[in-house]
Amino acid sequence: MAAARPRLSAGREISGGRAMEAAGGEQRELLIQRLRAAVHYTTGCLCQDVAEDKGVLFSKQTVAAISEITFRQCENFARDLEMFARHAKRSTITSEDVKLLARRSNSLLKYITQKSDELASSNMEQKEKKKKKSSAAKGRKTEENETPVTESEDSNMA
Amino acid sequence: MEEREGGFRKETVERLLRLHFRDGRTRVNGDALLLMAELLKVFVREAAARAARQAQAEDLEKVDIEHVEKVLPQLLLDFV
Repeated sequence: MAAARPRLSAGREISGGRAMEAAGGEQRELLIQRLRAAVHYTTGCLCQDVAEDKGVLFSKQTVAAISEITFRQCENFARDLEMFARHAKRSTITSEDVKLLARRSNSLLKYITQKSDELASSNMEQKEKKKKKSSAAKGRKTEENETPVTESEDSNMA
Repeated sequence: MEEREGGFRKETVERLLRLHFRDGRTRVNGDALLLMAELLKVFVREAAARAARQAQAEDLEKVDIEHVEKVLPQLLLDFV
């Protein structure tokens, strides 16, 4: 697909400011295309999982449709999350905002809360590890074998 | 946490959300990104599963776009 052209009347002279906007617009279009493709790829993988689980086949159009719907939903999600954070007088969106987003479905909320708790406890573990390491580095004898805590920085979390 | 094939990457999620923020200062913290990645994963899987169930209810093995269309309204209402 050709890069989108900024919508300006043909033949009009573009002022300096407009030219900047136009360039920004093209950049944004490219970003949108790339993101659409990324969403489509992941949607395909997930549909493949479900297909195997249920013993069905998904048509290409189906995968494309689900991908597009997901992409569009992100706009709602983003706006809501931003509003939730702003309402709490923050400029950084946190897990609390995501939980609020998931409030409509009980099972979804439960699932997200669970994941959030798992993340919180693995963050605690990471902090504990760092504390141990820094106090060990401060001259304490490291004779004892430090059993490595299971690293959660795995592909699943990425 | 179970290892699954698919899943949204953290950077993708961040860019997806940032695309629609109205305020230039809005950021998303790491945990929130991971949770959103999970949420999106659930969304896609739910859409796919419901469409599949619809197709199966019609005695079909191939899930087509009409099946998605049929389950879409309830999916959106249930979800957010």
